[in-house]
Amino acid sequence: MKYLLSAATLAVLASPALADMDAAKALVDQFTALPAFVAPGDAFDAKACMADKTMFVIPLTNANPFNAAISAGMQQAAEIVGFELRAWETQMDPTQWIQGMNTAVAEGYDLIDLQGGIPAEMLAPQIGEAQAAGVKVTATHLWDATTQTTAEFMDGAANTDYVTFGKIIAAWAIVQSGGKVNALVVGPDEIPPTAPLRDAIINYLAENCPDCKSTYINVPVNDWATLGQSAVQNALLADPSINYVLPVYDSMAQFIAPAIQIAGSSAKIVSYNGTPFVLDMMRDGDIVEMVVGESLGWVGMAGVDANMRVLCDLPKVTLLNTPAYIFTDANVATAGTPANYNDGYGDTFISGFKTLWGIE
Amino acid sequence: MTTPTPQDYERRIAALEQRLHAFEGRLAPPTAGRMNTAFFERYGLVFAWILLILVIGYFKPDQMFSWNSYAAMLGSNAMIVVLTLGLIIPLTTGDFDLSVASTMALSSMIIAVLNVRMGWSIEGAIFMALLAGLAVGAINAFFIIWFGIHSLIVTLGVGYFINGVILWISGSNVISGVSNDLVNVVILTRFLGVPLSFWYAGILTAIIWYIFQHTALGRRLLFVGRGREVARLSGVNVVRMRAGALIASGGIAALAGVLYTGMRGSADPSSALAFLLPAFAAAFLGSTTLYPGRFNAPGAFVAVYFLSTGIMGLNFLGAQSFVQNLFYGGGLIVAVSISQLLRKRRPMD
Repeated sequence: MKYLLSAATLAVLASPALADMDAAKALVDQFTALPAFVAPGDAFDAKACMADKTMFVIPLTNANPFNAAISAGMQQAAEIVGFELRAWETQMDPTQWIQGMNTAVAEGYDLIDLQGGIPAEMLAPQIGEAQAAGVKVTATHLWDATTQTTAEFMDGAANTDYVTFGKIIAAWAIVQSGGKVNALVVGPDEIPPTAPLRDAIINYLAENCPDCKSTYINVPVNDWATLGQSAVQNALLADPSINYVLPVYDSMAQFIAPAIQIAGSSAKIVSYNGTPFVLDMMRDGDIVEMVVGESLGWVGMAGVDANMRVLCDLPKVTLLNTPAYIFTDANVATAGTPANYNDGYGDTFISGFKTLWGIE
Repeated sequence: MTTPTPQDYERRIAALEQRLHAFEGRLAPPTAGRMNTAFFERYGLVFAWILLILVIGYFKPDQMFSWNSYAAMLGSNAMIVVLTLGLIIPLTTGDFDLSVASTMALSSMIIAVLNVRMGWSIEGAIFMALLAGLAVGAINAFFIIWFGIHSLIVTLGVGYFINGVILWISGSNVISGVSNDLVNVVILTRFLGVPLSFWYAGILTAIIWYIFQHTALGRRLLFVGRGREVARLSGVNVVRMRAGALIASGGIAALAGVLYTGMRGSADPSSALAFLLPAFAAAFLGSTTLYPGRFNAPGAFVAVYFLSTGIMGLNFLGAQSFVQNLFYGGGLIVAVSISQLLRKRRPMD
């Protein structure tokens, strides 16, 4: 009997621990459903409180359609409510950001929004000047909602839940591989959202999947073309059992897909953003398996909603209510051909915000 | 007075070449180890390449001595070889072309826009991309030669202008879905296990080597670079040589763009610009080997693959990305410095 018990104990100890497949499947299922609008705060009369107020938006760079799409969403929100919103043009140039801030202050705007990744710390002196002149300064889609804190000198910030995006990526790989993920995670450490995304992917795999492993490579944005492709290619050659390449931003797929092909690997790409050309790659090829995205028009409207609450002295909203949504071969056609930043997510958010703002 | 015939020009050029060799010989007085030094100077980078493989192979033999690793590395760096080959032609005639990477990006984007957005055949799109590259070269040549502006200024300005054109025609977007026919003939089809892109780069290297080393045109290009006035007085059409070199550079940079597009099946507005420095690094590093003191095609070929072998090895060793930058920049400076020591610190061309 004693030996039997010992044998049973050994058998239990020797049997491989199983991945928490149910939790991973539940997470994937949750974000496979079409996004539903959840009000970020209490309803308010936006037209009345914004009647004499104006907003000035400075995007990270207009050369990136990601930022341009958020600005477009912000402008759509301003048109719906009926207030003046000016979208500044920049090309990833700090002098243009500063010039934008000076212009906004000189022309008497009420609020400046640093949109889509401008490192607010770099503009701290200008932010102080603007605030001294009575202009409020906020940020949209910059910090992570749970692992990073909004800089104290800001008047508000509508943040993104990057951790959930990272968890969805890891959960998807666990489900698809049956709990046998050997992932190569790739990201540019110098970009603020990389850390929460990277850590969420790696930690979710480590905590929920005992048979999964991951390796991380840091590739700065400027080196994506020159070093990124070779780094991924060589990692795949060094470990041919890698079955998932998980770039934290899907734009990296354009350099990773050829690396996978040249290395003769069968690894799949799973990533975050929902960038149109990556959705096109998914539709036309077999390497990009899943992309979790967010409607950028929705991000823009949610950013304006948060900003209006700052200007109208309402309780602040710190989390963008833009849900994550999973694109695969099954639904990628809904994103358009060629794909774009807004299609596929539904348009419940437009009527949702109109109701919230007392317009419908 | 009779008009000089082409044969007269050839004789004058041959005489000049002899004088040039004699002059270089006087600058570096013969020593006991001169032969050995010359040998190491010529093949130093090749030996360094082999040594690099052996040293990294000692730590990571499975990956470093695997043919698959080299097949992948040779194929994926082919467009840098082609870009460098384009660059060394105007460098030989004494002009810098800082617009090559922009031309490469323009070519890539033209192919994507015409093929994906406008439904052109891939052949037609490639033809237009190459034509655009030649046109950029002609524009560079016009401003550099007719206005007499330094090539650094003109090609810097033209490069920036092209970057704007690329953002304009692409709407700042990445365009994917370029015909799979191009992807097939660039990376998916292999010969001896190596993607075809490598063989294209190899053929172009051989062509440019032959022109530089075995034709009168190659010698004329070299003389224009060594001394424009002397070349002009010797009957070389300096304007035609310089303009031709810049146009060739534009055309070959556009070819690099074709390979870059074929490698990814997509085009983006900016990533190709990152290849400017690697191409210059390889051009200068290449000028220290095989035909030391001259920008030369096989040297450029060896230099690109020396640098990419180092990067590959560092990847296998698990080095962080900043180490790769240290290797790229430091490797270039150290290699060129050693070569200069072997050359008794004679000024480079």
